[in-house]
Amino acid sequence: MNAVIFSLLLVPLFGSFFIFIIPKNRVELFRPVSILFTLISLTQAVYLLFDSKLTGNFKTYASFEWISLYGLDLNFGLSGMSILLLVLSALLVTVSILSVSDSHSQSKGFIGSILTLHFAINGVFISGDLVSLFIFFEAILIPMYFLMGIWGGENRRYATIKFIIYTVFGSIFIFIGTIYTGLLSYSVNGRLALDYNTLSQLSFSSSQSKVLFALFTIGFLIKVPLFPLHTWLPDAHVEAPTAGSILLAGVLLKVGAYGILRVSIPFFTEGFIQFRFLIACLSVVGIIYGAIVAIAQIDIKKLIAYSSVSHMGFVMLGISAGAYLSIEGAIIQMVNHGITSGALFMLVGFIYDRRHTRKISDFGGLKLRMPLYAGIFLFTSFASIGLPGLNGFVGEFKILMGSFEAFKVLSIISAFGVVLAAIYMLWAYQRMFTGTIVNEENNTLLDLNYREIISVMPLLILMLLIGIFPGKLENLVSEESEYLSELIFYFVGGK
Amino acid sequence: MISISEIIGFNFIVISPTVVLVLTALILLFFTITIPSSDVLKKLITFLGILLTNFFIFLKFGLYLTDGVSSYFSEKILLDEFSLFGNVLIGLILLFTFNSFWKTSASLEGKTTEAIILILMSASGFLLMIDSENFIMLFIGLEIGSISLYALAGLNRGDKLSNEASLKYFLLGSLASCVLIYGVALLYVSLSISGVYETSIAINFIGAQNVPLTTLIGMIFIIVGLLFKVAAAPFQAWAPDVYQGSPTGFVGYMATTAKAASFIVLARISAISIRFILDKFELFFTIVVLLSALLGALFATNQTDLKRLIAYSGVIQSGFILSGMVSGVFGISASLFYLFSYIVQLLGIFSIFSIIKGQLTSNFEIGELSGLFLNNKFLTISFSIFMFGLAGMPLTSGFVSKFILITNLWSYEKYLLVVVLMLSTVVGFYFYLRPIWIASIEKNENPLSKIDISTSDKVSVGLLAVVTLLLGILPNVLINLTRWVVENYI
Repeated sequence: MNAVIFSLLLVPLFGSFFIFIIPKNRVELFRPVSILFTLISLTQAVYLLFDSKLTGNFKTYASFEWISLYGLDLNFGLSGMSILLLVLSALLVTVSILSVSDSHSQSKGFIGSILTLHFAINGVFISGDLVSLFIFFEAILIPMYFLMGIWGGENRRYATIKFIIYTVFGSIFIFIGTIYTGLLSYSVNGRLALDYNTLSQLSFSSSQSKVLFALFTIGFLIKVPLFPLHTWLPDAHVEAPTAGSILLAGVLLKVGAYGILRVSIPFFTEGFIQFRFLIACLSVVGIIYGAIVAIAQIDIKKLIAYSSVSHMGFVMLGISAGAYLSIEGAIIQMVNHGITSGALFMLVGFIYDRRHTRKISDFGGLKLRMPLYAGIFLFTSFASIGLPGLNGFVGEFKILMGSFEAFKVLSIISAFGVVLAAIYMLWAYQRMFTGTIVNEENNTLLDLNYREIISVMPLLILMLLIGIFPGKLENLVSEESEYLSELIFYFVGGK
Repeated sequence: MISISEIIGFNFIVISPTVVLVLTALILLFFTITIPSSDVLKKLITFLGILLTNFFIFLKFGLYLTDGVSSYFSEKILLDEFSLFGNVLIGLILLFTFNSFWKTSASLEGKTTEAIILILMSASGFLLMIDSENFIMLFIGLEIGSISLYALAGLNRGDKLSNEASLKYFLLGSLASCVLIYGVALLYVSLSISGVYETSIAINFIGAQNVPLTTLIGMIFIIVGLLFKVAAAPFQAWAPDVYQGSPTGFVGYMATTAKAASFIVLARISAISIRFILDKFELFFTIVVLLSALLGALFATNQTDLKRLIAYSGVIQSGFILSGMVSGVFGISASLFYLFSYIVQLLGIFSIFSIIKGQLTSNFEIGELSGLFLNNKFLTISFSIFMFGLAGMPLTSGFVSKFILITNLWSYEKYLLVVVLMLSTVVGFYFYLRPIWIASIEKNENPLSKIDISTSDKVSVGLLAVVTLLLGILPNVLINLTRWVVENYI
């Protein structure tokens, strides 16, 4: 088991090292070699997915001594949710490398940064204690900094600095929270034991629980991002290169929600009870606000970015409702949003590579020239809206159903978010694809090539499969959602 | 068996590093004055001298194993864990700055050996300062060390900024020395003693509440004199000007040795009289740390000169290191870890500066870094590692050192310090990432001429970068070592 866990970290790391030593003139090798490595980690993650012993609650499988003076260990383990997210991230990394244009894939730094990002993301999902979680949470910033900084758009400097400062500001809270938790654990265990097993046995007083929940959750919510902490997201998405956007929307936003589910709620449940109505309200504001702002966008990438704010609002609503169904729905929605928004950003990237513009008004009538592209875009839009039979429906339906009991009014309001999603996605589709070609430049556009079709196809298949057979996904996360919802129920009942 | 120390009447080993450095300097001086000799020979002699110094520092560990903590030369020279740690630090600094200071000195026409002799002498002074058990001895060591530094700052006589730096450093530095020696005098007047240990024993004997005011003022003056050397706010005014004006190749040495020696001495004083320090000087240290973090962060954000930026960042880092001094013995060990990792990063950064910018120049605008990535990938990557380390990014030593330091501070319930230091870290991400941005991302308008980097430079910068990463991933060895340093005072 040790070997499996560490290879999840080492494969991407070796991959980036391998890319580093390939001779500079063999640029055509970068893409296949890196995809080889990401396929290895994808296979590993999928293999773990089918091992029913691993897909329950979080279990620690490996640990090693880090600072013996304080008795601080680094722990690594797995759970159903983390394996699911490992699969998602490996898949998205693979398709994003496949989908980027040659100018990016032939750059050592670009591919190396993506593999390093893969390493850090895997680290977050397998970390079994607060310190290693924090280390990898922060380490994500380094490759993102270079991805956005070097290969970003016009205004990338502003967006990158904003992204970094927001995240660092949030992670300072997590840092302080980690230290506070560690010292509380020290007073009980006689060492800085921060692994999840030890923490779940610690009992915090009501005020400690509140403070710690607030500290951790602010840090994670910036990453989610919850309204009003979301302002870095549109800038970051617009300026990031396509692969960066795919991974940012697909995986990095999930890191925040993952942290809340993994750390904030199980260990500081009492604090969660105190704050959950506030979080739910902000989520609903985010759902509606994100959707309305998305309607008004003239830049298609910014539109999808704001739709992310809206969709991640659903995730946070489901989490804060705390019912079994809603938590399960939230985790499924995390995966679904990763797939659909990843696909949407990829599709936008394809058209951007051809036209070097993202303005909706520059397009129109694209269906005539790129019928396949238009079809795929429509399909993905439907998935994003939450059409029954596609993946988006499963998560949002569960969330709305699960949270109705806890927050009746809020879930009714947030149901309008689905309607608004239909408006912004379909209106954008109408403006971009239907009608006649107004802009002369669009006349020469070519439809998707094989590479592009192959890179988007896995995501489309998954959208359909999850929509029709959501059962497997539910099995994976049911144990964890049950544990969390029972914990929350216990604390609510205790009041 | 008669040991060598019995024959010559004193224990040679304990001061051997100092003696070797002085002897090397004298031999160089002799060669310069009498026999005209090639630079290669002089370089060899210098390098051998530094190697021999490191060897004798290693021998001191043997002496420590046989003698334990002990003092020599009628209780003037001390051999304890702090002095061993400090000796190792200075030895490493000499080794790793050898490349850049040699090249810098070689480019000083006609004054090559002059600079080398100054550096060796100042290192011997700082070693003496670290080893001293007596405040007067400490003052002598400090003066030998710093007077050479004043001269080093001004060696590039054609450069106005260099002259300014030298004069400023000299005036402010001698003022600080005055304050320090005045403190020693006050201490002597009030308690009739001048030893580090003696003071602590005397304070314990008369009870902390009965300590005369004169003693307190004397102690504060001594500490202020040392704080000046480490450029903690509000005694930081000299640092930016001196860093900016001095020949780039020397700044790495100048910045690190003075900091290392002064912090080791401060750590020892704090460790020996920890209770007294915690009682009486907590407020004083807290104010210094707060000011350092705030002023450093405030001024560092809008610097356009890289060396000034590093100087102000040094103010913040000094604040961090000092914060450990008021959070108990483990805090001191955390400070020592922080000091070590900071010095490694600083050495790396200044080696890179002197490689990029040539040795004698003073100004170094941030914009001049642009296009570095296309020019030399190795330098850019190691520069980024050092900057990420200073910023405290995980997987570098900077994160571990901040983690253990803040953990200690929190366990001593110094919440204000934690908050302010963390805020300065957030600001730090802004100004530490800016040079990385310019070096690796920004397109170059007027390209740097191709940087040729010698193998020795490559090895030393690479080693420092690897150490920075290694301490971030596997910090256990050094943490246990710094704990061993303070073991006796727990």
